[in-house]
Amino acid sequence: MRNTCCNSRDDAYTVARQGSPGRGFGIGGIEVAALQQYGWHLPCEEDMRERIGKRAIGGLFAALLVVLVLTEKRLPGSTEHEKSAPHAPKFQVDPLWPLPLTNHWVLGSVTGVTVDAEDHIWVLQQGADSLGANEKGAILVPPTGCCEPAPLILEFDAAGKLMASWSGSGEDYEYPLSPGGIAVDSRGNVWIAATGELAPVIGFGPRPAKPPPPGDAEVLEFSSVGRVLLKIGGKKADQDSKLEGPLAVSVDSAAGEVYVADSGNRRIAVFDDASGAFKRQWGAYGEKPEGGNLAPYSPSAEPAKQFRSANCAAIAKDGLVYICDRQGDRIQVFHKDGTYLKEAIVLKATLGEGSVWDIAFSSDPQQQFLYVADGQDKNILILDRNSLETIASFGQGGRYPGEFYAVGSVAVDSKGNIYTGETSEGKRVQKFVHLPAASLAQGH
Amino acid sequence: MNAKRDALVGSSFVVLVVALAIAQKLVAKTTAAPGNRVVMAPRFEVDPLWPKPLPNHWYQGMTIGVSVDAKDDVWIVHRPDTLSPAEDAADQNPPSGTCCSKAPPVLEFDPAGNLIGHWGGPGTGYEWPESNHGITVDYKGNIWIGGNGRDDAQVLKFTQDGKFLAQFGHEGHNGGSNNTENFGRVAKIFVDPKTNEAYISDGYLNHRVVVIDADTGKFKRFWGAYGHKPDDSNLGRYNPDAPPAQQFRNPVHCAELSNDRLLYVCDRVNDRIQVFRPDGTFVKEQFIARRSLADGSVWDIAFSGDPEQKYIYLADGRNEKVYILLRDTLEIVTSFGDGGRQPGEFYGVHSIATDSKGNIYTTETYEGRRVQKFVYKGLAPVTKLDQGPPWPSSRSN
Repeated sequence: MRNTCCNSRDDAYTVARQGSPGRGFGIGGIEVAALQQYGWHLPCEEDMRERIGKRAIGGLFAALLVVLVLTEKRLPGSTEHEKSAPHAPKFQVDPLWPLPLTNHWVLGSVTGVTVDAEDHIWVLQQGADSLGANEKGAILVPPTGCCEPAPLILEFDAAGKLMASWSGSGEDYEYPLSPGGIAVDSRGNVWIAATGELAPVIGFGPRPAKPPPPGDAEVLEFSSVGRVLLKIGGKKADQDSKLEGPLAVSVDSAAGEVYVADSGNRRIAVFDDASGAFKRQWGAYGEKPEGGNLAPYSPSAEPAKQFRSANCAAIAKDGLVYICDRQGDRIQVFHKDGTYLKEAIVLKATLGEGSVWDIAFSSDPQQQFLYVADGQDKNILILDRNSLETIASFGQGGRYPGEFYAVGSVAVDSKGNIYTGETSEGKRVQKFVHLPAASLAQGH
Repeated sequence: MNAKRDALVGSSFVVLVVALAIAQKLVAKTTAAPGNRVVMAPRFEVDPLWPKPLPNHWYQGMTIGVSVDAKDDVWIVHRPDTLSPAEDAADQNPPSGTCCSKAPPVLEFDPAGNLIGHWGGPGTGYEWPESNHGITVDYKGNIWIGGNGRDDAQVLKFTQDGKFLAQFGHEGHNGGSNNTENFGRVAKIFVDPKTNEAYISDGYLNHRVVVIDADTGKFKRFWGAYGHKPDDSNLGRYNPDAPPAQQFRNPVHCAELSNDRLLYVCDRVNDRIQVFRPDGTFVKEQFIARRSLADGSVWDIAFSGDPEQKYIYLADGRNEKVYILLRDTLEIVTSFGDGGRQPGEFYGVHSIATDSKGNIYTTETYEGRRVQKFVYKGLAPVTKLDQGPPWPSSRSN
């Protein structure tokens, strides 16, 4: 009846998830190290030390521990390929970031996080529509108690202080329904995508008695203080510009272009960032996108020829565009013109909502790493950008700092710190402080 | 000359009186209490990294009970079956992901936050509640569990290792608030070390406090609000402007006996505490955040760790805070917490307990699903009625 942490099933999972041929437990070892590095003591590690020698199973743990340590030490030089495999960056959760909101404001489902040129963190959340009656008592009639939805868009400084917050304004401006991704361009303007349809409720979340009529599927550009400047999509848009369930937006300011992950149309659509004019589009493998249904994802089937749910479009400094195909459990890489380059399947066995929700690049000039938000498995994967191999991960499911529920957005500041947003019932934004390389040498 | 001096003295008095009045107002503002005395209250800081992460990709559901044992270990009970498909992916067939699995319902943490024990769930010889609710470690070290599922009419007693000891009442046998063998969806249990009597908060269906023999389960006495004979008639919705209800509303959510033998009952949806003698004699009542509607303001209470139990800590899952009350007057001195998912914030703060060092532990139901620790930092002058999340002073807003 006592604690049996690090049990065999758990280890089996670690290996099945992360192991690759010829590496034994190596990747599992990195995962353990990464977990320790983000500020938590692994309970099982302490238990391991205490119990070695006390139980028969202790010997097994000891052997495993030795393998882990050895494999990790040998990792960089053990094979030709691994020579080039870089050490994964390490992070530690800041449990007290951001500072508490004032006015009894609470966050709804957080669907977008991005960092601007001043290292300010912009957060997009779904507000009242995503809050249960017992989370928004102050706006009910009559009021029942705490609390009030925070404005849709919040800007924090790196210390976690709320700098600004707004929900948008302008002529004919309608509060967007089911907002998703957020981006800030080089002029400091704020772009958001909104699907216009309330997301299905997972878990014990709010169930509006009467769902609101669908809103516009749109991409909106706001000034930094929330005045609407441009709208792409919406009910009146022409065929090329009509969006269906757009989930994310990225801006290539140098090229004057905005990329939209237009999930329902199974495409990436590129628009002029000044006029909003449609420029080009592509589907999975750079092919012509086709709407319609796909057979449900199966890990044993051939990868789908269309995007299942295009969930991000992350543009690297070297001009490569990384697309999250969330429920396809994959990343596809393109040139900016839509030429297909390659794909990587990430945690192929993942069903449900899929494994690839959002991508951010590490802050080094080469952008050596990709950080992938995996909301289904509730962690952040660290991939070598060159090989697209997963080399480490951090996080686990839960409500405590450093844990996640439906982590769906990830962003990086100039210092290499990671910010995450949790959607659905997660309703948080968290900061993971990048630990300097010097501290890595002190490990194991 | 005299007249002049009198005038001077007089005007000095006026100035003094005005100054005093202003000073008094200022003091009153900062002490949040009537009069000009400085009010002291226990101060707390959240420990944002307590407890340590659960092993085995275990995940907590609605967490609806907390109790601290003689070793200062913290016991919680949660509802594994409340996990959504997005949370128990590894338990599905086929697994839709690696995260997560249902943690066992009873979890024991040491004071440092390490998980040191876990058990619970259906077994032979007893009827595990359909929806477990409330956990109490009694003075003998045994663990009591209630339940508020549709047919739950029983309470259970186990050893700390999870060995079944006793069941009182039987699933599906609820007989209303005047039945003497079964309960009606029990919220919480308290065991009196002096008399070996268990006080049952009964509950989510019945409208009473029941006292039973903690060993035999024999019913000894029970009563409703104001000590009335309990009555199960429908009271309708709580209306803060109506005269106080003459019966408890559902749920009767706590019944805690103080060292000086006063019983404090949480009448949650009626937004009030009622105080009784152990024999059921009504002493007094106090309304808390009386305009609170829906699920009400008085969810659970714990006494401060001093022998006099000078303070009551009251969890209000409607307004998402913990109030600190003076136990003798039942006045609110201050409060901490706010709505949200960060450390020191709450969503459905449901249960509360203190350890021997005066630290507070809280659990959250609904989508809160946490246990949090608030470290006792000694007495401090009260400066705010509403402190917000009690973050370490280096990091607060």
